[in-house]
Amino acid sequence: MVPTHRRHAKGTRYLGFLCVWCLLVATLFFSLAGCRPPNDTAPATPPGTIEIKGSDTLVNLALAWVEGYQLVQPDVRISVTGGGSGTGIASMINGTVDIAASSRDMTSREFEAARAAGMDPVEFVVALDAIAIVVHLENPIEQLTIQQITDIYTGRITNWAELGSYDRPIVLVSRESNSGTYVYFLEHVLRRDPARADARFSPNSLLMPSSEGISTEVRQNRNAIGYDGLGYVTPDKKVVAVGLDPEGPFVLPSIETVRDGTYVISRPLHVYTTGEPVGEVREFLEWVLTDGQEMVRELGFVPLD
Amino acid sequence: MSQQLAQKLGFVLLGLLSLVVIVPILLVIGAIIYSGLPAVSWEFLSAMPRDGMRAGGIYPAIVGTILLTLGTGLVAIPVGVGAAVYLSEYAQDNVFTRAIRLAIVNLASIPSVVYGLFGLGLFVLLLQFGTSILAGSLTLAIMTLPVIISTSEEALRAVPMEYRTVSESLGGTHWQGIRRIVLPQALPGIITGVILGLLRAAGETAPILFTVAAFFLPRLPQSPFDQTMALPYHLYVISTQVPAMPLQIQHGTALVLLAFVLSMNLVATLIRSYFRRRREW
Repeated sequence: MVPTHRRHAKGTRYLGFLCVWCLLVATLFFSLAGCRPPNDTAPATPPGTIEIKGSDTLVNLALAWVEGYQLVQPDVRISVTGGGSGTGIASMINGTVDIAASSRDMTSREFEAARAAGMDPVEFVVALDAIAIVVHLENPIEQLTIQQITDIYTGRITNWAELGSYDRPIVLVSRESNSGTYVYFLEHVLRRDPARADARFSPNSLLMPSSEGISTEVRQNRNAIGYDGLGYVTPDKKVVAVGLDPEGPFVLPSIETVRDGTYVISRPLHVYTTGEPVGEVREFLEWVLTDGQEMVRELGFVPLD
Repeated sequence: MSQQLAQKLGFVLLGLLSLVVIVPILLVIGAIIYSGLPAVSWEFLSAMPRDGMRAGGIYPAIVGTILLTLGTGLVAIPVGVGAAVYLSEYAQDNVFTRAIRLAIVNLASIPSVVYGLFGLGLFVLLLQFGTSILAGSLTLAIMTLPVIISTSEEALRAVPMEYRTVSESLGGTHWQGIRRIVLPQALPGIITGVILGLLRAAGETAPILFTVAAFFLPRLPQSPFDQTMALPYHLYVISTQVPAMPLQIQHGTALVLLAFVLSMNLVATLIRSYFRRRREW
């Protein structure tokens, strides 16, 4: 053969180089691991960075807040990640985020886990929201009682005709169990009546990975019924008026009906911090509760006050 | 039917069958270019997202994907090629090496989302890297390793045995033979394997979902401990999570991701053909 790679044979040099490289990577790896001892309860993120994670209902609102806040405080880095309220709270307890966004209350079990990790979670209500019941635009249904919604989602009513609408099977569209909206809907709609404390979603429900997923399905499927945060209600779907009593009144969700409490499926949206917030996190949250409320309205949620 | 006719018919049929393979690829690429190209502009490539990601650009996602790919390569290439050299040139056939091979085969068949969970458990939580580029790169590197190891090992084994024996007969050490003769000869195959592995890393969503990707972070990362946006996750998010998202931006993002992956592929092909021309067997 013609050795095209003929150089001075110093193979050991390369072997040495390889060893040094591996050592370097290993050292880097473990020194990085070392500077974050597992018992360290300090915020996991470097100064100047705020990490927000959680509710998919809140994720687009949080995004809007970050965009707005950057005009005021261009030096603060804020990252927003979705995944569901449960994901956000779990990450906060694990110490990987500063702020958990949640569309439901933290459970007592989650509080216990947080305390066990040396945290004292503080709750902030950052906006109000209604869960709107949405159907396809062509569906003639106008109003539903909580009882009827429960019967639909537990699988007792399976055809729209039973509710005086057109003769089509009902397709149930829901979020998955990691979603705060799912938990809220289960606890405050399906299990609203104490006699039904063990009500469950029908196993035939389609579980969507996001609020926008429910929106898309309901927009396209004439048989579908879904529930979504007010911020995800667009004119290409029909919102059903909801009442407690078959005699009425039936109320459509809006800023006014959420605030005065006449729309029954409404809820506060929260963020949680690992303790009393300080520094940049505090400044950001203060801004969210004041100037940030403008974005709440813009995105179709209900601002505080 | 004459034999000639039967043969012609057979060829036509086979040609049509291979067309079936090509057509969907061309259709996908064509459709994405057609609907994505109008969205791609200099601003789209170099600006931060605006208006709830419905306008502006995807710059941070592009940078994030490049950084993650580089980080993956930095870890996976030395480890993977090193392992391949060991397995092909040094390892004897015993229980230990058979266990290693079994592990590699099994690693290759693990679904990517499991790597994501593994990365979350090990790098993010246990080692306290947080959701960070470091954790994401390491997770992607582990996912990429089996591809790099097995293709590199194949490439090394393809180098004829005579090369090694001649090298040793001339007084070269085992390592000299590997470094000067075998590795250069196997390089085209190794590069192919490396780039195939990195391509997979660049396009994956599941492993970065829990370990690094941010829904929205309109800044460039400043340290390996920062989160970042990344193209595949960004595409997933704007297609499923953001209401009233313009379709054009979704297609534009898909086009950029596709172009990134295909251009890496092209580079691999060029490098390979360059080395292949210099190959001596």
